[in-house]
This record gives sequence, structure tokens and C-alpha cells, in this order.
Amino acid sequence: MKSDSFNPFAMAQQQFDKAAEFLNLDSGTRELLRWPLREYQFSIPVRMDDGKTKIFRGFRVQHNDARGPSKGGIRFHPQETVDTVRALSMWMTWKCSVVNIPLGGGKGGVICDPHNLSQHEQQQICRGWIRQLWRNVGPLADVPAPDVMTNAQHMLWMLDEYEAIVGEKSPGLITGKPVGMGGSLGRTEATGYGVMYTVREALKLMNVKPENTTAAFQGFGNVSQYALQLYQRMGGHAICVSCWDQKDQTSYTYRKMSGISFDELMSIVDRFGGIDKTKAKDLGYEILPGGAWIEQDVDILVPAAIENQVTAETVQKISKKVRIVAEGANGPTTPEADKVFEDRGVFMIPDFLANAGGVTCSYFEQVQSNMNYFWEKDEVLGKLDIKMTSAFSDVSDLAKKKKLYMRDAAYMIAVSRVAQACRDRGWV
Amino acid sequence: MQQHKLTPFDRQTFESTGTISFIGSGSIGGKAQGLALVKDLVIPKIDQSLLPSLSVNMPTMTVLATELFDEFMAENRLYDVVHDESLRDDQIAHYFLEASLPAKVVGDLRALSNKVRNPLAIRSSSLFEDALREPFAGVYATKMIPHHSEDPDYRFRALTEAIKYVYASTFFRDARNYIRTTHQSPDQEKMAVIIQKVVGFGRNYRFYPVISGVVRSYNFYRSGNAKPEDGIVSLALGLGKTVVEGGKCWTYSPTFPLANPPYKSIKAMLSDTQTSFWAVNLGHVPYDPLNEAEYLIQCPLEAAEQDGSLQFVASTYISDNDRIVTGINANGPRLVNFAPMLKSNQLGLNDAIRYLLKLSEAAEGHEIEMEFAVTINTEGDPQAKFWILQIRPMFVSHSRVDVSVDELLETDNIAASERVLGNGAINTIRDVVFQKPQVFTDKESWKIASELEELNHKLVAMGHPYLMITFGRLGTTDPPAGIPVSWWQVSGAKVIIETSLPGIDVELSQGSHFFHNVISSQVGYFSIPHSSRFSIDWDWLNRQTTVSETEFVRYVKLSMPLRIKIDGRNGRGLIKA
Repeated sequence: MKSDSFNPFAMAQQQFDKAAEFLNLDSGTRELLRWPLREYQFSIPVRMDDGKTKIFRGFRVQHNDARGPSKGGIRFHPQETVDTVRALSMWMTWKCSVVNIPLGGGKGGVICDPHNLSQHEQQQICRGWIRQLWRNVGPLADVPAPDVMTNAQHMLWMLDEYEAIVGEKSPGLITGKPVGMGGSLGRTEATGYGVMYTVREALKLMNVKPENTTAAFQGFGNVSQYALQLYQRMGGHAICVSCWDQKDQTSYTYRKMSGISFDELMSIVDRFGGIDKTKAKDLGYEILPGGAWIEQDVDILVPAAIENQVTAETVQKISKKVRIVAEGANGPTTPEADKVFEDRGVFMIPDFLANAGGVTCSYFEQVQSNMNYFWEKDEVLGKLDIKMTSAFSDVSDLAKKKKLYMRDAAYMIAVSRVAQACRDRGWV
Repeated sequence: MQQHKLTPFDRQTFESTGTISFIGSGSIGGKAQGLALVKDLVIPKIDQSLLPSLSVNMPTMTVLATELFDEFMAENRLYDVVHDESLRDDQIAHYFLEASLPAKVVGDLRALSNKVRNPLAIRSSSLFEDALREPFAGVYATKMIPHHSEDPDYRFRALTEAIKYVYASTFFRDARNYIRTTHQSPDQEKMAVIIQKVVGFGRNYRFYPVISGVVRSYNFYRSGNAKPEDGIVSLALGLGKTVVEGGKCWTYSPTFPLANPPYKSIKAMLSDTQTSFWAVNLGHVPYDPLNEAEYLIQCPLEAAEQDGSLQFVASTYISDNDRIVTGINANGPRLVNFAPMLKSNQLGLNDAIRYLLKLSEAAEGHEIEMEFAVTINTEGDPQAKFWILQIRPMFVSHSRVDVSVDELLETDNIAASERVLGNGAINTIRDVVFQKPQVFTDKESWKIASELEELNHKLVAMGHPYLMITFGRLGTTDPPAGIPVSWWQVSGAKVIIETSLPGIDVELSQGSHFFHNVISSQVGYFSIPHSSRFSIDWDWLNRQTTVSETEFVRYVKLSMPLRIKIDGRNGRGLIKA
């Protein structure tokens, strides 16, 4: 969303077209999968704290549910567009497919900025979103989850509204709920850990030990935080992380060449993952421009903020030392930048594989919620690791066998599974 | 990280027989170091042609290195828990079971659980065990799990619970107290964990090896013509728990495998034979994760006969002519004397034990104690495998002290014995703790253990080594047979006299873990059964100044140190005022 001309949905379609070509899909299947099955756009009127009424625009897009109920987050973002939501819902379809969980792809959002909304106002948006959509979501139809600037509290408000409307308890409606209220242990860490499980496997393929690597992270939200934590526990040396500064309305890169510390940074972040610049400086961090993370001389880059960050322009700034790019965010790399990575032989772990830990754990949460029986954290993370590692192996094996770029291999696996499900159902 | 090269855990290949892989960094602990030594320096040197009927190997195992323990403790803030000294062991275990294992290891454990469907032993392998060269046998927990359920979730849960239980045992009261006697802080201890396949066979919801055993390089209890350096072997049917916890087992010199133990009669031998054995319970087990023996079952010998395993280890008593015949073809009471192995020399078991003992001693550089198991295919051709399970160094003193038989008979001796362990002269002991013979009862031996522990705690804190005198078998798990103390409960004793009273006719302490600790700590050990020609001068003891007295135990302080001489080569020792 940095550039006005960037259209994530066009990019998602372009990526799909390439996979469809590889797979030689028929025109009907292509047309079906290029577009969402269903889209909902609606207004949410909210009585604000000052007594005035404000109308928020909401979305829900269900890209494909041939393999199971749609699954995808709800984003609260001031620059939300339907095309962003469409793209993200399509990526969710591929993501669920590549990790082989029985779910389809969906995504939702509301154009709003929670930074400027009271808790009460946010609650009204959440309840309004459900009032508009309760007929179209549900444990067996479409299962929302937290995403950009939404959290467990938002999910609980939505669930509460849903249960009030349908008149029964239905914890499987939504995932990302607080632990103890239908949430799963391990969900907070799942996406970030999932990213690092795939990085670990990539390093094994390269016969490189994590302790002999350095990494730079973009973003310091949930995904980046836990990816950084596990990376450090694996022995890796992270040297910088970039982060949005709400007060200055810009992002900064916080660098410490001797190694940044997860625990240290967590002690100076606000609830949105914003790092306190002054405290960071006191702790010896260099404060660099927001884009500096991409220029670092490291082995591993982890873009884990928002889409469209590694472009034809910014990819040129990437050090030749970089061997792995693990996309913690959805759609951070444009097709032009992908081409550069492919030419350079950079090992790409594409978004819908790298960050699939979140949806995989959401799937576990849904299973637990539907049973109303909850697992220990060891069980959740153990299963998550196995799922992620298996998915990585499927993709890397195919990439090696067919000499494919990792993203292309991941798309081939994901799209072919969904296409097959559509055929099996007789849709195409 | 480790002195021996181990293989990093690999989800695809970790199951290969005899491999030792590791997860995480840091130390792999003392026990795992011993096994790595076997893998690198013993197994490759085995000339299999010398052992035609037994193939020698090690069970597949994976070690969780101490870094994972550190992370587990830190991530779950468990040091806050263990610093609360008022917590009971079960409360500590509960907190540990509630905690989560580090994220970077659970995937590997899950993969292991998904692939392996075989009972597993989850063993401690502590840093101090490695660093201090101190005896730690039996100080920490070992948990065996069946790990055979069709449900991988169930297998995984039992595995992770067992690991956490072993971690928790680092801070159990026994362990903490024991560590303090080594002048270390329990906080400094770190635990690696060995996940080892249990070897054996499964039948009738039981899984166990036909034979478990311990062989020691040095035998402090001689009988017949055997010399100390001939070593000693203890064998039992089923899991090794019988041997290492001092249960009834068959003990013999590997140089004289045909010699029976010195029982007075066949009846005495029968009454002291193994009558039950331990196995991993493959049947339904009530959920009890705080119990170290949760998945173990003690079975009668009839069960082994039903399983087809007894035939390899037992003989039969023929009452008509008061004879023992090898095997179980005849009707009559069974005697687990391993005659089919030792007398009929099936499989060349004793030759294998002697051969492997020598190889292991050479690899370790001094005397050792080895735990092993033997599995035999009970159907068809009896193919047998010898499995090395653990190896530990023995610390044997070789300095020369002579005690003649005449000296043993001197009238000013407070105690003397011809069955003594240890070696050297000790002239520093002024504290004596002894059970009061007049009030001894085998029905309250747990209480006696507790009283001994309390005194030990005080004397260790004061830094006073002491002489301890007790009745019955020390370290036994069978309370009527003696005092069920763990080593740590009496760890401050520098010299121990184990004696007995008329009417209590038990073989004195031979429990491997307890014994190993006695030997390794270089504790002087006197065995003076009531039938011995030597005795203890109780009158003299009762005349000494009493410092404290409880229901069963008296503690006296001497004005002058005792003069204690132990002739390790001849197994003689005496104590004078």
C-alpha cells in the first residue's frame, strides 16, 4: 500500500495465472479460481463516544471453499480496499491448501484506524460486522480470525454477538479467541514460529547452522516478534527490526550490530508493536530510516509487516549476502522482485507457506473449539511444527525435482489441490 | 559440546539401531557421555566372531541437551517454583507438568512419537554427574512409558509428561539434599534427558527383556575363590528395576559362573529367589503422571512362564529328592538361577559379559559398572541380543592397608568384619548414628529412614562425617527386609555398618544404585550379620555421650575419633575407639 498504483489483487491473479499455466488448467477452472466465489460489502453505523454516528465500510470475501469452510482474518486498516481483501482471500485459499488443512480461503476487513478509536467504538464495529454477516459466516461456512490491528478481544466481541443472534454457544465460529475463552494455546506464537520452522528447514537443506546466520526483520507485530524469538532460540543472530512509529507516522529500523534482543525489545513496545524510540536509543540501538532493514548485510530477510515491500526498486538494495527470504507478511514481494530473487538463486519461502503457521493453528483452535476440548501447548506446537515441516518438504521436494522457484512450486501444489477439489465436487 | 561425536537428531533417520542423536546444544550429561563412549569406543571394537550366539548393540536413543532444560526453566519461570523449599515433590512435578516444552523441540518430539511405537525409557543425564565425577545413580527419576498406543496424540502426551517429570526430579527433595552433600547448589544443576528405546518383547500386555543385569568390575563381597578384580554380576528376569533397586536377583562371580551363591540350603536359596519381575504395562493404566512407576507393572513368575520367557532363566525344585534341575520341564517351584544360561551355557552369556566388561574397562580407563539387557526371540530359533544400557565409572581405592585375621579377633574392637568394602584408614570420625537394637521393628522401617535422614541433614550441614549402624538391607524397596533409604538420606555417612538381628535373615545390601553410590563415594562398608563370628560392641556404644535420641535412632558424640582400618584387598575391616 505504499504505492497508489499497486493492486495486490492484480498481483495475486498474476501469480495464479503463472501457476495455472504450469499446471495447464482448463479455462473454466482458471476463471473460477481467478475470482472470489462470494463478496460482501456493507456499512457499519457506529454511535461514537462523542454522540455522533459514523459509518464504517466492511468487507468479507470468500475466495474458494471447495476444500472446506472459508478461513481468514479480519483487518482493521485505514487504507483497506476490497482488492486488498480479495487478494488476501485468494492467498488464504492457497495457504490452507499448501499446508493441507481442510479449509478454504476468505478475508475480511473494515476501513478504520483502531489507534483513533476507543474500546467501546471498536466493540461496536465488531458487533456491527457480525450483525451484517452472521448469515454468511459460521463454524461450517466461514471462520474469521484476527489479522492486522485486530486481536483476541475483537474476536470475542464478534463471537458474543454471533452467539446472541443465533441463540447458542458456537465457539467454532471464530478463532484467535483468548485462551480460556475458546482460544488455543500457542496461537499467539504460531505464525512467527511457523516462519522460523520453514527457515530452519531451508537452512538444513543448505547445510547451514542457524547459529552461523544473521537476519533482518521488517515489522515488529505478532509475526515478526515470535519469528525473532524462535530465531534467537535456534541460535541465530538478528541485527535489526523495522517498526512503524505511530507518533511520527513513519517507520524506523532499529539496529544493533552486536545483536538485537527479543526480550529487550519486548520491554519497550506498546500494544500495537510500536517500539519506543527514546528507550531504544538508550539501549544502544541505532535508529535508521524505515527502509534500512532491507539493505542489511545478512543471510536471512524476514519481511513480516505489510504487502508490496520488496519491489523492483527495493530489491536492488538487497545485499548479495542474502540467501533466504522468508515472507512473514502476505504479499510483500512483487513479481518483478521475485524474478530478481530467482535469478540470484535466493531461496524464497513464499508467504502462503512461510506464514501458514497462523492459519494452521487457527485450524487447530477450530477443531478444539468444536470439540470443546483443549490441548496442551506442547501438543499444539508439536503438531504445528510437523504440519509446517511437511508442507515445506512437499514444496522444496517439488521445487528440486522440477527445478522450480519455491513460490512456483508452492503455487503448483496449492492450486492443484484446490482445482482437484473443484473438479471432484463437479464445479468444473 | 560433547567429548564424543553424536549425530544431530533427524526426523527421517533417528530410528536406526544403535544411533545416539541429540537435540539442542549444551551438555548431554554424564549418563549420555557414558553411552557415547560405548558407541565410539566399545561397540566398534567388538569381535562378533567371539560371540557367535549374541549380537551386541545399544538401543536407539536421542538426548535432549541441557540448553533445552535451561529454556524450559526460563520460559516457564520454574526457578520461582523450585526456590520454594516448602513444596512437596508432587507439587513440583505438578508445576513442571503444567509447563510447556521449548517450541524448538516439540516438533522433533512429535515426529519421534509419530514414528516410534515401542516402549521408551526417559532417563536423566545430569551435568553434575558428568562434571563432578560424583555418583548420581538413582538420584533422579527414570520414567518408562509404553508408547505403543495407536493414537499418536496419546503417545506424544505421555512422552512430554515423562520428560517434564524427569526435569522436575532435578529439584525433588532427595535430589536437592543430595546435591548439597556434594557442596553444590541445586540451582547450578542442569538436566539432559535420554529418550531410549526399551529393549524386550511384548506379550500379554507386558513388555520386558528376558534378562536384565548389572556387572561391576570390582567385587567387594567375595565368596569362594573369587578375587575382587574378578568383578560381580547380578541378573534378574524382566526390567532392570529389580537389580538396581536391590530386589531379589541372582548374583555371581563371572569367573565362577557355575558356583551357587553361598546359601545354607536349597530351601534358603528358594526363599531368596526372584518371585516377581517388572515389565512395562501395555494394558490399561490409570492416569497418574506424578508417579514415576505409572506405566510399570510387577508380575508373578507365572506370567513369565505364560509368556515363554521363564524357560531361559529358571530351574525347578524337585521336592522328592531335594534337587534343583535346570529348566522348567518338570513340575515344581521355580528358581530363577539363570542355569540355562550359566550352567548349560546357552548363548555364551557369561563369556559375553566378561568380554564386554574388559572392553568397557579399557575404553573408560578404569573400573566400571555396566547395566545391560538380553532379549531372546521366544519363538522359533532363539536369536539373542545383548544390549548395553548404561555404563558408569567405579571409583575404587587401591591404596594398601593390611588387616590380619588376628586383628579382627582383638578384644578392643568395637566392630570387625570379613565382609567389608572400601579401602584405607579413617581417623576423623567422632559422630556415630545407630539404630537402637532393643526397639528395632521391621514394621516401621520407613520411620527409621526418616529419622536417619533428619540426622544426616544436620550432620551434613555441620560438616561432620559419621559412622552409621543399621539393621537389615540398606536401600531396599522391600521395607521388611531393611531400611528403605535412598542414598541421599544417609549421604553424610563415611562408614556404614549393616548388621542384622536374630530372626531377620536377609542378604545384606546389594542394590545396585545404592551400592554404586556407596562405592563411588568411597564409603567404608561393613557387613556384620548376626550369624557372623564378629559382633558390634553395643555396650560401649551405649556408654557414649548421647547428643540426641529419637524413637529408633541414637546419635552419640565421641571424645576421641574412631580408628578405622579397611583392607580392601582382603575385605577385612575393624573399628577401634
